[in-house]
Amino acid sequence: MTSAIRTEGLTKDYGAGRGLFDLDLEVPEGQVFGYLGPNGAGKTTTIRQLMGLAYPTRGRASIFGLDCHRQAVEAKRLTGYVPGEPPQFGGLRGREVIAYLGAMAGGVDREHVKELCDRLQFDVSLRYRDYSSGNKKKLLLVIAFMHRPRLLVLDEPTSGLDPLNQQEFYAMVREARTAGATVFLSSHVLSEVEHVCDRVGIIRAGRLVNVASLEDLHEIRVHRVEMEFGGDVPVEAVRRAAGVEGVTVDDHRLHCLVRGSFEPLIAAVAGAHVVNLSSHEPSLEEMFLTYYAEPGKEEAVSPC
Amino acid sequence: MLRYAFRLHRWGWIGYGIVLLVGMSVQAAAFVQVAGSTAASRAAFAHDMGVLAAQLSYILPAPFRLDTLDGYVQWRAYGPFALVVMIWAIAAAAGAARGDEDRQLVDYWLAARVSRARVVASRLAAYGLASLAAAVLGALGFAVGVVRYESLNLGGLAGKTLTLWLLMLALFALCYLVAQLVASTRAAQAAGAAVVVVLYLVDVLARSDHSFDGLAWVSPFKWYDATTVLAPGGHLDAAGVALSVALVVVTSVLSALAFMHRDVRGSLFPRRAREARAKDAAPSPLLAWPVARLLYRQRWIVVGWALGTGAMALYMVSIAHTVVDAAIGLPGMRDFLTHSSGGDPYRGFIAAFWFGIAQLLLAGFAVHLVSGWASDDTEGILTSVLSMPVHRWAVIGERFAAAVVGTAVVVAVGSLVAAATAAGVGTTLDAASVFRASWVLIPFTLTYAAVGAAASADFPRAAVGVLGMLAFASFLIYELGPLLQWPAWASDLSVQQLYGTPFLTGVFWNGLWAMVAVVIAGFGLAVLLMQRREVGT
Repeated sequence: MTSAIRTEGLTKDYGAGRGLFDLDLEVPEGQVFGYLGPNGAGKTTTIRQLMGLAYPTRGRASIFGLDCHRQAVEAKRLTGYVPGEPPQFGGLRGREVIAYLGAMAGGVDREHVKELCDRLQFDVSLRYRDYSSGNKKKLLLVIAFMHRPRLLVLDEPTSGLDPLNQQEFYAMVREARTAGATVFLSSHVLSEVEHVCDRVGIIRAGRLVNVASLEDLHEIRVHRVEMEFGGDVPVEAVRRAAGVEGVTVDDHRLHCLVRGSFEPLIAAVAGAHVVNLSSHEPSLEEMFLTYYAEPGKEEAVSPC
Repeated sequence: MLRYAFRLHRWGWIGYGIVLLVGMSVQAAAFVQVAGSTAASRAAFAHDMGVLAAQLSYILPAPFRLDTLDGYVQWRAYGPFALVVMIWAIAAAAGAARGDEDRQLVDYWLAARVSRARVVASRLAAYGLASLAAAVLGALGFAVGVVRYESLNLGGLAGKTLTLWLLMLALFALCYLVAQLVASTRAAQAAGAAVVVVLYLVDVLARSDHSFDGLAWVSPFKWYDATTVLAPGGHLDAAGVALSVALVVVTSVLSALAFMHRDVRGSLFPRRAREARAKDAAPSPLLAWPVARLLYRQRWIVVGWALGTGAMALYMVSIAHTVVDAAIGLPGMRDFLTHSSGGDPYRGFIAAFWFGIAQLLLAGFAVHLVSGWASDDTEGILTSVLSMPVHRWAVIGERFAAAVVGTAVVVAVGSLVAAATAAGVGTTLDAASVFRASWVLIPFTLTYAAVGAAASADFPRAAVGVLGMLAFASFLIYELGPLLQWPAWASDLSVQQLYGTPFLTGVFWNGLWAMVAVVIAGFGLAVLLMQRREVGT
């Protein structure tokens, strides 16, 4: 399958440890890829490299095999983009902004634009400066989708949208995928990723820490476990068990985190008198937070 | 908050302060060079300058004691610098009233429980401090220029500095109030400029025709001109000072009241949303075409400058007879106006002074165009454009083409109005000369635009400042080079010098090729810089 996006050792070094480092990423065509990370992790830096707006310190990025810098124009002909920060078009009306950028994009079908505006309940007649931030985001979505691009690069596309329009946006993304488009969607809203993404990349401090399908992500999820013992607590055996972290003991109760399989923990407590056991599956949000934790602060998910 | 607001003006007061400092010191030094050191030579110089003053009333106040260094600097430096600080006041007020809101600074201040009255007071106080700093730098420049030759009139200097400061503050406060009535930074700039220019022209009208003296007292420029305290025998005009203070106080209070009764990022008189929605006409087809789409976005800039240039052409040409009749008695002026123009002094006047002021206006037009390009960058529009399949070089190419067309429109309007007005007052300008002098104005304007294009391609936030400095330096070199007998190569650094006098003496081809070279180099450099730079940082 053709790669819609491929980066090889993509690095943008702003100095002082800031930037994006050695990003190797491949997004196959037809996939909705969620790009997750906290503020300042490097999501927008990655997207600006893909859009040819910033140059890499080293490495390369390509869209459908087209170099994002040397063949930027050809690559962008296939791409729709929503920037993280809305531009300021001042006194231009919504329809004028669409006409202005639509003429540059080429291949815009007026009926399709009207349909998009109707779906997002977007009024094209107002001046840009009179739009709310949510309406500005709707305009940017119309512009990104208007020429039915093969790739959509969306930088936090739902910020500012109300829940109804968020649902409409998710439907638009699904339809685009059904039509064969690829979507690269940056977000720090995990529920958004759960709604629409096939695969997720997690970036932290400029480095990609994990790429997985949603199912994979659930398989490596962390469980918060509480065990109550009738006798002595086998605390040392539990601490030695693989994948078990953050072990604390309170009287006859043991709290810990289990990453991955339960087997090592079950083996560690074999023979002990377990009178109660509860396992809580943390939300994706909490799992995400474990990746956000700075190195050396991996115990971000409290065992309590 | 005051400290932060003052910080927002730092480039303004430093830049304009340097302009005032250099301008004052150079004019002071120039007086000794050109007027001589004897009483007789200075009296003769004052007489000649007095006649010249009548012709330059659009830019200079009525002369007073031009036989003295203090009087000359008051006329020649403090006079036209009213125009220079006017530009700063308009831009600063629009930025303070609207730019802060666009950047959502006001949201944060209000959310931090800063009262609206305090926001207004802080912005006015901050500009008050910034403009005071610039005025003091101007005074320092004057002192540096004078002290080598004569004793310093400290009291007079303090008085003129006070009135310059009050002028800046009054214009700022007025524009700040006007900005409450509109809903965007660009609209605030345009509305502020319109009000201030009208007030300036009212003062100019009274300089040429004293029957308008009474009307002129509505203008802060008149209040400023009325103080002549720097020159021996001059006075500090108490009424002018009082009116300036009153204007600052009244407009500040009105601004605070207006701000308290309007929405943030809204106008005091908002258009009804229904009316806006009713405007459902199809978007302009111009938006679909390269160059035309940029011209469409800049249409009000082009229209505004075309109308302004036309109005100035009308004024300049219509006063030709009055001015020339007054000046013709001077042998030097008679020779200049008749010999260089084939015997018709009116034609000579129009050639020399209309096409001189046209250069000034077109330099301003170029700065305004560049300001728009820089804004496209800082407001994220360039990012949107470059996220489309558009070559970076095409962005610069489009700017170039739009600048050519826009300049041609402004030049055409100015020249047609000048020619028609000249015919109306009985002076025939031959079409070939007008055409020649007009089309050379296009590379002249593009020379400034090219420097601005290069600057805005890499340092958009500094582009307008850089270009403003270049324009100022260019005019200064052109004016002082001959007086101070600078070498030819130094004078050729002025774009005005490169333009030459095509109406009277034909195209100065070396100058034209030099301008073309700058245009190619400037836009070429802009392409290179745009290719390698990062956008949206």
